[in-house]
Amino acid sequence: MAAAWLVHGFLLERMSRDFVESRLKDEVAFLEHQIRQSGGEIDALLTENYFHDDFYHSFAIQSPTQSIVFPHTLAALLSPLFQSEQQGAIRVRGASASNAPSDLLAFRKSFLVNNTRLVVIVSEDMAALQASQAEFHAWTAIVSILLILLLVGVIWLGITLSMKPIVSLQASLKKLQDGEISRISVHAPEEFRPLVKQLNQLLDFLDRRLERSRDALANLSHSVKTPIAAVRQILDDTSRPLGDDLRREMGSRLGDIDKQLEAEMRRSRFAGPQVGKSAYPVKQARELLWLLGRLYPEKSFELSTQLVEERRWPIEEQDLSEIIGNLLDNAGKWSSTCVELSLSEANEHMIIVVGDDGPGVEQDTVGELGKRGLRLDEQTPGHGLGLAIVCDIVDRYSGQTNFSHSHLGGLKVDVSFLRPN
Amino acid sequence: MRLLLVEDDRLLAEGLASQLEKAGFSVDTARTVREATLLGQQEDYRVGILDLGLPDGNGLDVLRKWRTNKASFPVLILTARGDWQDKVSGLKAGADDYLAKPFQTEELIARLNAIVRRSEGRVQSSVKAGRFELDENRQYLKMEDGTEHSLTGTEFRLLRCLMSHPHHVFSKEQLMEQLYNLNENPSDNIIEAYIGRLRKLVGVNTITTRRGQGYLFDDTV
Repeated sequence: MAAAWLVHGFLLERMSRDFVESRLKDEVAFLEHQIRQSGGEIDALLTENYFHDDFYHSFAIQSPTQSIVFPHTLAALLSPLFQSEQQGAIRVRGASASNAPSDLLAFRKSFLVNNTRLVVIVSEDMAALQASQAEFHAWTAIVSILLILLLVGVIWLGITLSMKPIVSLQASLKKLQDGEISRISVHAPEEFRPLVKQLNQLLDFLDRRLERSRDALANLSHSVKTPIAAVRQILDDTSRPLGDDLRREMGSRLGDIDKQLEAEMRRSRFAGPQVGKSAYPVKQARELLWLLGRLYPEKSFELSTQLVEERRWPIEEQDLSEIIGNLLDNAGKWSSTCVELSLSEANEHMIIVVGDDGPGVEQDTVGELGKRGLRLDEQTPGHGLGLAIVCDIVDRYSGQTNFSHSHLGGLKVDVSFLRPN
Repeated sequence: MRLLLVEDDRLLAEGLASQLEKAGFSVDTARTVREATLLGQQEDYRVGILDLGLPDGNGLDVLRKWRTNKASFPVLILTARGDWQDKVSGLKAGADDYLAKPFQTEELIARLNAIVRRSEGRVQSSVKAGRFELDENRQYLKMEDGTEHSLTGTEFRLLRCLMSHPHHVFSKEQLMEQLYNLNENPSDNIIEAYIGRLRKLVGVNTITTRRGQGYLFDDTV
């Protein structure tokens, strides 16, 4: 600001000086012209009214015979300039003559007319000019400051208005922190709606997770503590012989604990749909196919897909492993020679299909596959826990699991997820 | 049959050792990574049981050391976690099977017998062609720079067929024999799809198409 102000002052000064200088030069030229026309007779000029009426600059003319200074008050200031050798513009400052301006700009020119040397000086009082210049300069400053204030005001107003939703969001967050509200209201402007939605989803997710882990712990402690108490009781009773029946009983109790633990651990290990989590289905499928190929070396595990290796699916990595791994493991147990895994995408759906060439499942029991609580493997080992786990995860992603007959002869499991927008 | 049991839980190790001895194994027990690494390299075991959570390190490191030192006896790993990634990394490190704790002794013995049977007559064999090495036991394709790629059954068989006779032209019909019964009447497209996938692994120019004749593996590329 200060720099702009100084530059403005400097430019203003230079401009007015240049302007005055060029005018003085014109007038010197005019006087010279007049003098030349009158053949060097200065007195003739002075008699003309012109100078008194129209010539409003002070001037001085010197010939070898006489010198004229108009008006006379400036004689003390201008006379010394006759002796000066300098041609052109001369600044006269700090002269202390009474009734005379202290700051003058003069233009001096000497020339020959009929072999006599004449000197003409025209001058203007710069002080008066500078006063008005200063006034102009000051006004510029005042107007600029006013404009700046106005601009700041407008910017402040703009920022305040546009920050208003953030302030309300901030207030909501504060309320949320204090527990006054449980969700942020969705009356946010367009730009913040996804953020608010995301936050609310996160809160939902945390709530669900808390609820789930509480349920899991409650289930677990209920189903684990009792068998532990029973086994302990038997072990504490030193008088009771540890017969085969008792051993078997204790073994089955420990088995129950393990089953419960396993089920709950699996359940809490599933991530479910989460923002920012994705997996490479083809890469993972290849690893799992290879793994099962090693575990069942006499069977062939094949992949059929059009997806590229770099394709990502918005499913958490371990969840996807669990789905594909369990489907393949289940098919591997049942197949006689060959299991086929196919990964595809159609109409915004991500589709996993696993088929085997085993005996398959009877049409009337197909509907009961994968249902929690119903363990088909109690009658037929194989299609059981693994499929229940798959159904559980798929449910969490709001996907669908379908069981049907494979063209290979055995069971075919279709899993499909809708790709979230 | 000599068996190396690596398990740090004393109670479990003792119980297991006595059960295994009853089943006809002669059992050596190791409790730490150091002990296990040494025993595995010095002694000649027929089969090994390896717990992954050891007090002074990870069981997988023991397995890797065994495998790099050509100790090739089949190994069954015991793990308490049992997620799929764990299983994959266990088998990648060179294990032959895994079992999640807790387990029934009968199942353990059945699995041990199975991996021993599978490993019988197995020799460290690989097919080399040009920049590639195919590990036949582990169905792995090893690149020149040491990276490994897992292969599915059919991919492995096709590649083994092509790599065992570089520069020999295999017709589609010949290659079709390497396929298991994926479909009742497999079409030519299937071979093309597999060749396409193999090319992604080994490079487009390594497997060349001879129009109307078939495919060949070019080990000079």
